[in-house]
Amino acid sequence: MNGPLIVQSDKTLLLEVDHEQADECRRAIAAFAELERAPEHIHTYRVTPLGLWNARAAGHDAEQVVDALVQYSRYPVPHALLVDVAETMDRYGRLTLSKHPTHGLVLTTTDRPVLEEVLRSKRIAPLVGARIDPDTVAVHPSERGQIKQTLLKLGWPAEDLAGYVDGEAHPIELNEDGWALRPYQKQAVENFWHGGSGVVVLPCGAGKTLVGAGSMAQAKSTTLILVTNTVSARQWKHELVKRTSLTEDEIGEYSGTRKEIRPVTIATYQVLTTKRKGVYPHLELFDSRDWGLIVYDEVHLLPAPVFKFTADLQARRRLGLTATLVREDGRESDVFSLIGPKRFDAPWKEIEAQGYIAPADCVEVRVNLTDSERLAYATAEQEEKYRFCATTDTKRKVTEAIVRRFAGQQILVIGQYIDQLDELGEHLDAPVIKGETSNAQREKLFDAFREGEISVLVVSKVANFSIDLPEATVAIQVSGTFGSRQEEAQRLGRVLRPKADGHQAHFYSVVARDTIDQDFAAHRQRFLAEQGYAYRIVDADELLAEG
Amino acid sequence: MSTPGPRSLAEALRLRDDASLAALLRARPDLITPVPSDLTQLATRAGTRASVVRALERLDRFALQTAEALAVASDPASYDELLGLMTGDEGDPKVTAALPRAVATLREQALVWGGEDRLRLVRTARELLAPSPQHPSPTGLGPTVQEATAGMSPGRIQEIVVTAGLASTHDSVSAVAALTGLFNDRGRMAALLAEAPAQSREVLERLVWGPPYGQVTAEPAAHLRHLLDRGLLLPTAPGTVVLPREVALHLRGGRAHRTTEPLPPAPEPTAVHRPQVVDATAAGQAYTALATVEELLKDWDEGGPAVLRAGGLSVRDLKRTAVALDVSEPVAAFWVELAYAAGLLASDGEADERYAATPAYDEWLEQPAAQRWARLAQTWLTATRTPGLVGGRDAKDRALSALGPGLDRSAAPEVRHRVLTLLAGLPEGAAPSPDSVLDRLRWERPLRGPQQDDDLRARLARWTLTEAELLGVTGRGALSGHGRALLGAPAPTGAAKKGGGREAAESGTATAGPSRPRVDDNGPGDKLPVHHTPVVVEPLSPPEQAVASAAAARLLAPLLPEPLDHVLLQADLTAVAPGPLQRPLADMLDVLADVESKGGATVYRFTPGSVRRALDAGRTASDLHAFLAAHSRTPVPQPLAYLIDDVARKHGHLRVGAASAYVRCDDDALLNEIMADKRAASLRLRRLAPTVLATQADPATLLDGLRAMGFAPAAESADGDVVITRPDAHRTPPRAAPEPVPDGPPTPDATLLTAAIRAIRAGDLASTTPRKQPPSATAPTGALPRTSSAETLATMQAAVLTGEALWIGYVNAEGAASQRVIAPIRVEGGFVTAYDHTADEVRTYPLHRVTGVAELADET
Repeated sequence: MNGPLIVQSDKTLLLEVDHEQADECRRAIAAFAELERAPEHIHTYRVTPLGLWNARAAGHDAEQVVDALVQYSRYPVPHALLVDVAETMDRYGRLTLSKHPTHGLVLTTTDRPVLEEVLRSKRIAPLVGARIDPDTVAVHPSERGQIKQTLLKLGWPAEDLAGYVDGEAHPIELNEDGWALRPYQKQAVENFWHGGSGVVVLPCGAGKTLVGAGSMAQAKSTTLILVTNTVSARQWKHELVKRTSLTEDEIGEYSGTRKEIRPVTIATYQVLTTKRKGVYPHLELFDSRDWGLIVYDEVHLLPAPVFKFTADLQARRRLGLTATLVREDGRESDVFSLIGPKRFDAPWKEIEAQGYIAPADCVEVRVNLTDSERLAYATAEQEEKYRFCATTDTKRKVTEAIVRRFAGQQILVIGQYIDQLDELGEHLDAPVIKGETSNAQREKLFDAFREGEISVLVVSKVANFSIDLPEATVAIQVSGTFGSRQEEAQRLGRVLRPKADGHQAHFYSVVARDTIDQDFAAHRQRFLAEQGYAYRIVDADELLAEG
Repeated sequence: MSTPGPRSLAEALRLRDDASLAALLRARPDLITPVPSDLTQLATRAGTRASVVRALERLDRFALQTAEALAVASDPASYDELLGLMTGDEGDPKVTAALPRAVATLREQALVWGGEDRLRLVRTARELLAPSPQHPSPTGLGPTVQEATAGMSPGRIQEIVVTAGLASTHDSVSAVAALTGLFNDRGRMAALLAEAPAQSREVLERLVWGPPYGQVTAEPAAHLRHLLDRGLLLPTAPGTVVLPREVALHLRGGRAHRTTEPLPPAPEPTAVHRPQVVDATAAGQAYTALATVEELLKDWDEGGPAVLRAGGLSVRDLKRTAVALDVSEPVAAFWVELAYAAGLLASDGEADERYAATPAYDEWLEQPAAQRWARLAQTWLTATRTPGLVGGRDAKDRALSALGPGLDRSAAPEVRHRVLTLLAGLPEGAAPSPDSVLDRLRWERPLRGPQQDDDLRARLARWTLTEAELLGVTGRGALSGHGRALLGAPAPTGAAKKGGGREAAESGTATAGPSRPRVDDNGPGDKLPVHHTPVVVEPLSPPEQAVASAAAARLLAPLLPEPLDHVLLQADLTAVAPGPLQRPLADMLDVLADVESKGGATVYRFTPGSVRRALDAGRTASDLHAFLAAHSRTPVPQPLAYLIDDVARKHGHLRVGAASAYVRCDDDALLNEIMADKRAASLRLRRLAPTVLATQADPATLLDGLRAMGFAPAAESADGDVVITRPDAHRTPPRAAPEPVPDGPPTPDATLLTAAIRAIRAGDLASTTPRKQPPSATAPTGALPRTSSAETLATMQAAVLTGEALWIGYVNAEGAASQRVIAPIRVEGGFVTAYDHTADEVRTYPLHRVTGVAELADET
């Protein structure tokens, strides 16, 4: 017994990465365990019911899981844990949703007491119809998502074998001249297509859009793409025109400003969730065409109402794309039951090692508050404290110093507070992009930045997602949305796109020492540290002295 | 011995040799507490109701069935009659083979005596097992014709006899005898029943397997009339009829039981694991057990939970403990009870009574891991405390709480031992299904009366299986190597044959069959070393157990992981210990970091709070850096070094005095900051000097207040030193571990048995040896000899010369008279010194207390 794996009683698995069997073991356990942390020496995986059911859905059985644990484990695996794994996995597939030739959608069971148990649940009762035989009950087709979600909550996840509608066919081809899908992207597309529906987890900058395009080329049908905002929608359109056989006219934008419905339509979450007089007027978009594929960009941001609509779309293929399945609201299980199980996942560092994302140097710059600032901070109202310490003047000096050091490179300054950004923009003589900046202006500035006409850009959180800034090599974060871990990941993603000259990216986080800014920063950084991005800490004084 | 056989149980006992008496006393230790004076008294005691009930409850199912059959047989019954009742008319080779053993067991336990042709069940047992309307027999048989017709008018009896086709007789006794004869005759009986209408036969069918009682109306229907007229049903009370035993036996084909179970069900292995896997799993669990107990007591170091007024742990405290240990409540109760039974924790006995670790715990901690485990395992094996009961309710509907009263179950050690012995009987690595183990236990110790699924023994057995797994005695349901050693059981190859001298001797006590049952050769589990005879391995005596535990510890030691001296530090501020850590290292890390995940490895997380805790415990930042550098396999990540420096920089920056409660700080801006803070208002701080603040609040409140404001003040002593707040572990005064509460007297050892038997024999000699009639022949036989004092003295002196034994009457200081057989050695000063056969020792008696003396009759 000298395996690379240590099985903990709280169902976490510790994988020693330097062990010679580590790769083998990683492949064996990745099927059922979620990678929770991937710092430099020991990676932590967690075995959850969701993960085990994911594995069942992917065709693994309990025996394989138990074998993998026992084979690689350094210490004897607690018997109770093995029993628990087997029992949990055994719960999946007792219930199946399938198409019945005469009764339509039905829920069948191989274990009658389970069916009896779930039918007794108050939450299931309104979703099912007549009992067809002792083992079968009819389900209203419109409740397919709802019942899956509820069954998962009851602990009896149903296997969905009811299949998908093909949707309206539309020819889409990948236009691979001068580029090709990377191996992991191909793998992701394949896994997704094989599984029918599901989520692909890739780091920012690893080319999630291309996974979407690849999937569309597989589906060859009309596609609805849901994205976070208009800029992102334009980005998708731009990318699709460039990478596929689709033309500008075939791609529609459905946003606050434009309401086009084309064979491929890109809609924003915002417009879908706009409520007028208690109704969602734009919901009909889902029914406006016979969509064959629905792509959810940044699925971890999926707003709650969209979950509800998605429940009604269970007959369509669904692809979720995200950099992290961490949701601050803990609704990961809804993603599992409504979009689908995780189909592909790769640690960031692994993709970096393959050279597809740039290596990054993460630095936290600790700024000391001056005495008068400290006094002001101590007396500030609780809700103003973060704003106060996050926008301290000292940060401006440090930011300027960093910008000076990297003069000539493409630099992004990212922040939360508009006043601070405006001030920074003024001092750095750089344009500021914020919520009120018009889309036209934004695109103009982004283009200029891309072309190298301007080298410093100050952006608010509007730029958090999905804007392709290929040549940004330095990002300086001066403030953020409190302790949001996924925001930090997204921002780091801004500089991780591979650089033309292959040099390193820099990610600076400027933090006020001994304030809640530092606490939030620690929380934000934890996710990245767990992804293997270790932060270096530098004192502002040192940096200024060097600068 | 050429006599037709013993006439009483006492006589039967007298005929037995010492070994067989020893077997009896071992099986029924209640008989020699106190040691009876003679075999007659032993026999009387063996016939008392309490003792017989106790003995019957300890019979295995087949022996009990045999006793039940004897209770419905004639008294005395021949062996063949008994065999007929057990096998029925068709015969059953398995029963035939097993019956000698069962009868031998009953004989050995002094429940049955008499020769093979005159087997007699002791009267009390017969009364207990024979059917009566209040206590229907498990056989489902009713009273005999004779019993059922006891109160019937002679005229009615004659009517019945005639209707049944027999000649009328001139008295009831012969009429009943004739009727019994008819019912016992298979041929005539068949003819009689053939006459009965089909409906009548159906009625009989319904009653045949019992209960044998039925209700009839005042005017019974014709088919019932038919039966009543022929005595096939007899009235017992108005409206009630009974099926006489003879009729039922005829209908049953002579069988007393519907089914007999001559063979114990073998526990069937459901899975066979490799012995290495079993041992490794069990060792892993054993390690977890140690870690859990340590964690439990460490958790209670700083003031354990309070003791309830009625004793025990409150439900809330148990819940809290369960959460802290990350286990379910029943499992938490198990650990708490185990630590208590092992004497590692107890109530501290102070006014505000709390539970805490005992000094024995500190000693225990110092021992090597394997020995620590052995102590826990040994405690568990012999303890009568039953954690499984926690959360249940007692007979008075009071909740049973962990560590509270009412948790002792005397059967627990025996059941635990028995279950493990059964596992030991299986091949190495074989895990039986719990149900098959329970079946076997039920066979060995059936409940009299209806079978229940959750009787105490069954529950105890289930708990034993789960607890053994928790403790690492078993792994994956199979007994581990060290578990086997703990039982003192030989290696599995030897276990198959049970060759060990000790065990062979003991198995003899229970099986005692002169002929080992032949079924062993054709039994279904022939290829498995499964015992078909109920081998009862007695629990070991304490010294033997200590040896066995030490052997178990030796086997376990190499399987336990070696403690490591290093951890892996990572940039996400975690440290992973990829195995158990050496104690000083683990202790230090426990202070310096928070435990995030436990198991084979431990994951620690460094937080500002945890680092501050280490600084509070008197460490300096450089200590911590050196410690981490020394024990990390990997370079210390920069964020961690920063974290320590950051906290250290702030740590102790503020100093708080205890006596006058002050705050002082070299940095007056910081004090300004505090003074300006609204939250400081409640502390009522006053500025003493630019660098000193004072307050009326007590230092603790002040500290808390300042910390809540985000500062890291350090407490200061009167001398200005930093007060080190390192909690002391709370301990009880020395406490003894609770004694197991055994059921009944302990099994006597060989010395006691020999002594007891000699004493009984001597007493018996005294009471039964024929005596020479005194010449005057005035004293009636059996009364105390009465002689004048001069005659007494003379006889005594004569006896000293001849060395003869005398029979004396003696009145002791309390005035109680007794008879003794003594061999006088010396007579002087009004005392006689003599060897007392009754007491088996040399004693001195005052002559004035001797009422009389008589010579013993010459032995023939």
